Amino acid sequence: MGGHSQRVIWTIGGGKGGSGKSFITTNIGVCLSKMGTRVILIDADLGGANLHTFLGILPPVPTLSDFIKKRVTQLHDLLIQTNIPNLKLLTGAQDLLNAADAKNVQKRKLLRSIKDLESDYILVDLGGGNALNVLDFFLMSDGGILVVTPEPTAIENTYRFLKSAFYRRLKQTVSSYSAKTLIDQTMDPKNEAGIQTPYDLFQEVKRINEEDGRRMMEEASKFHPNLILNQVRSKKDIEIGFSMRSACHQYFGIHLHYLGYIVFDQEVSNSIRKRKPLMVENDKSKAAQCLKEIAFRLAHSGSLDSFN
Amino acid sequence: MKRIEDQTYYELLEISPDATPKEIQQAYDRAKETFQLDSLAIYSLFPQEEVTKIQAAIEEAYRVLKDEELRRSYDQSCPHLFKHLSRAQQIHPPSEKLHEMKQGLSFTDISLEIKDIPYRGTSLKQLREQLGIDLKTIAAKTKINPRILESIENEELDRLPAPVYLKGFLKAYARVLNIDPQRLIEGYFQLFQERKKK
Repeated sequence: MGGHSQRVIWTIGGGKGGSGKSFITTNIGVCLSKMGTRVILIDADLGGANLHTFLGILPPVPTLSDFIKKRVTQLHDLLIQTNIPNLKLLTGAQDLLNAADAKNVQKRKLLRSIKDLESDYILVDLGGGNALNVLDFFLMSDGGILVVTPEPTAIENTYRFLKSAFYRRLKQTVSSYSAKTLIDQTMDPKNEAGIQTPYDLFQEVKRINEEDGRRMMEEASKFHPNLILNQVRSKKDIEIGFSMRSACHQYFGIHLHYLGYIVFDQEVSNSIRKRKPLMVENDKSKAAQCLKEIAFRLAHSGSLDSFN
Repeated sequence: MKRIEDQTYYELLEISPDATPKEIQQAYDRAKETFQLDSLAIYSLFPQEEVTKIQAAIEEAYRVLKDEELRRSYDQSCPHLFKHLSRAQQIHPPSEKLHEMKQGLSFTDISLEIKDIPYRGTSLKQLREQLGIDLKTIAAKTKINPRILESIENEELDRLPAPVYLKGFLKAYARVLNIDPQRLIEGYFQLFQERKKK
């Protein structure tokens, strides 16, 4: 992804349900479209796709599964214009993510079709959970965004997601069977090899296959997930994002990019009840200000590295 | 990726080898907070013995770096630190990390800090404009004559009031922008000295 590149795909995922992924996806989408760029939102939430509700529109009839099952040939025909200029919606990606047997080729093909859509930004709401398909989508996109609230449960799930994504990424990089097996073992905390941390894994892989060890290190240094902290209530909460960045640096040796935070704001739930995006309903509210800042960062993130 | 034991004290505290004592203190406070056993940010990530190891490493790094003498001899014992720094900066100026730290501090409601830029009139103006605050608002909040504020920003030293008043004004202005008043005063008065030399 170059600095000027068009059609940037961001995926929003990780963590647990209720951390605000759909809310954030919708409102960042509205922000970006208000800046005059074309945006497509894609709903791929397995747990319950409801981006349409956040936008106050009816659940769309033709969905992505019609495209996958070849009932519709052009992905473009599935796009629904929302009430907001420049903002379109595509739903039903959950069907693909749900299909346990979705092949890598198929996923890449879908990703390519999505990338070919006429738009400047594409935001994919992956929902919670860390199914392999979800991880792959997260890893294949130009930038993956994790949403976390300052609670131990949410943070635990986020790290679980991050570990799964990290090891999956590494596993796809190495070529030797022994290295792949070792990575699988590492994901079990009580593994026989006694591998506790990514660092142990690097050392062990390097020992059995120097080339794979080198590749893994290189891949890890290119892995730059993004973080949004939602529902913060104090300055101390805000600091958690920086601390998580340090923790990831020490643990994985990766750079977690802290994109920003959103303050806890009653206006958020008011807007959801009205089925209107906060950015439309009350764009002067505190949470809306935070969202604007994050959208601004995303729009000027030419320097943010991609996974690919 | 480096093991804890292999990191320099600066890497451990995530600061640059030319960090000021204040930066060292801030970095230490944050690192200490981050790696407390009950810290939210590390919850479920590290095995406990790893956390203990990191804590000990952070304490040791701080013990050495906060002491001028110890820091100097540490720096001398690893000269590659600085060679590395200048070379790295030539390749990617400024390093992504430092850049992001600055960005990080500009988050709403977090006190802003103009890190590497000297605290001067021009940087005050720049910062004020970045925040989208006009001079009138500053004047209203600080109860300082806007003409004086303008002179402060434009560094028209001969138009400024006596130092004792100027100090008060700078302090008030700094508070509105949420930056460190002491650093602003120091930076500003350095300006006088520099002009004198010329």
